[in-house]
Amino acid sequence: MNSPVKIWRNQKHIAHMLGREGTIVSWTIIRLPPSGFSNLAPYPVVIVDLSDSRITAQLVDWSEEDLTEGRRVKIVVRRISEPTTEGIIPYGIKVKPI
Amino acid sequence: MHIYISGAATTKFGELWGVSPRQLAGEAVSKALKNAGTDSRRIEALFVGNMLSGILGGQEHLGAFFAEELGIRAPACKIEGACASGGLALHNAVNSVLSGQYNTVVVLGVEKMTDHKPEDVATALMGAGSEEERAAGATFPGLYAILACAHMKAYGTTREELAAVAVKNHYHASLNPNAQFHTRLTIDQVMKSSRIADPLRLLDCSPISDGASAIVVTSKKSTRGIIVAASCVATDSLGLARRKSLTELAATKEAGKKAYAIAGVAPRDIDAAEVHDCFTIAEILAMEDLGFFPKGKAAGAIAAGETSLGTSGRLIVNPSGGLKGCGHPVGATGVKQVVEIVEQLRGRAGARQADHAKVGLAHNVGGSGATAVVHILKK
Repeated sequence: MNSPVKIWRNQKHIAHMLGREGTIVSWTIIRLPPSGFSNLAPYPVVIVDLSDSRITAQLVDWSEEDLTEGRRVKIVVRRISEPTTEGIIPYGIKVKPI
Repeated sequence: MHIYISGAATTKFGELWGVSPRQLAGEAVSKALKNAGTDSRRIEALFVGNMLSGILGGQEHLGAFFAEELGIRAPACKIEGACASGGLALHNAVNSVLSGQYNTVVVLGVEKMTDHKPEDVATALMGAGSEEERAAGATFPGLYAILACAHMKAYGTTREELAAVAVKNHYHASLNPNAQFHTRLTIDQVMKSSRIADPLRLLDCSPISDGASAIVVTSKKSTRGIIVAASCVATDSLGLARRKSLTELAATKEAGKKAYAIAGVAPRDIDAAEVHDCFTIAEILAMEDLGFFPKGKAAGAIAAGETSLGTSGRLIVNPSGGLKGCGHPVGATGVKQVVEIVEQLRGRAGARQADHAKVGLAHNVGGSGATAVVHILKK
């Protein structure tokens, strides 16, 4: 569940992650999305190796050939899902090929 | 000191729109008590395994809720560990009897999922994942698809081998009157079913189900009692990103290793196993991580019929039909797996009976492998 205070608390984490680069380790393409993500599907979810840690993130601006081991990606800020019933537009981290 | 299972029972699993959670629990527990030759007045504690009642049904406080329904006037609580809730509830029940505080307790695993929209259920199930995974728009099929992708790359596991797991488990389910599905599948049907999260397709996935299972755990020896030889739990990181490897579930390996040591048995001693096949890839991972096959060798062995009724030399895996064929009411699953092993060891499994079953194993996983529970039972 999203709340304004939770999003506010998460800002520092987002700022810290933005612009970092890494490589794709494994992936899937989500065809049947959860609530709030239906207008984005199909979309890849990838595990990215950032050298000191790994993250799970959605891949944007993608094509099929980007889905290979070792593909370099960069962390960007994007709208995460459809606005909630409270009217909050949730922003967060996704990755895009570079 | 030995801990025994004196009674075990399950309801039918499936889309049970005409039945409430109270009725499911009532049926499972009354059958288990009858099976144990005891009654609710002799029960000293109730452990309920459930995951989604709060988020989907708005009902929490399930210890008191079901104690009232079942007429059990005793300490009662809910144990939650995502899809491992049932196995964890049994683990806590076993420990409570081992501690000497209680002599006879009941474990109830129960879940009502089909009252709700599939996308709401999928979102609720993602409560078992990490916040980062939810923000990525991942689903549980998606997380296991990432593991499947890694396993296929590392070991050359094929799409056909994944499909063979579903074909085997639907065949076993067709022999189980309590299973959700009685339809047998072909490799081709699985391979042509709709895509859910690449490389997984619809028929690689366990269904959304309703159902309840119950077990009576006691310190009292009886002729019908099945010995709980080991009850072990292990915990890993909540999300996939913090795992060392994407081609194994480390929690399964650790819980299995501990359980084999405590029970004094090896994988080759197991006659019947119920393993957590929430997706076809999950059974392949489980067979390797529990030590039944070397890494990378399970998929071919399953496809060759080495764990199927009728073609296996010894070990039968998921005789109930597993989560894939029997159904997966998440909180009930871990309890149902043990009910199936009890029936196998008692020689009461009917058409799906494993020959001369003396030692059995049940393996229950929460989330994408953050929790693993392994029980080993002996005759």
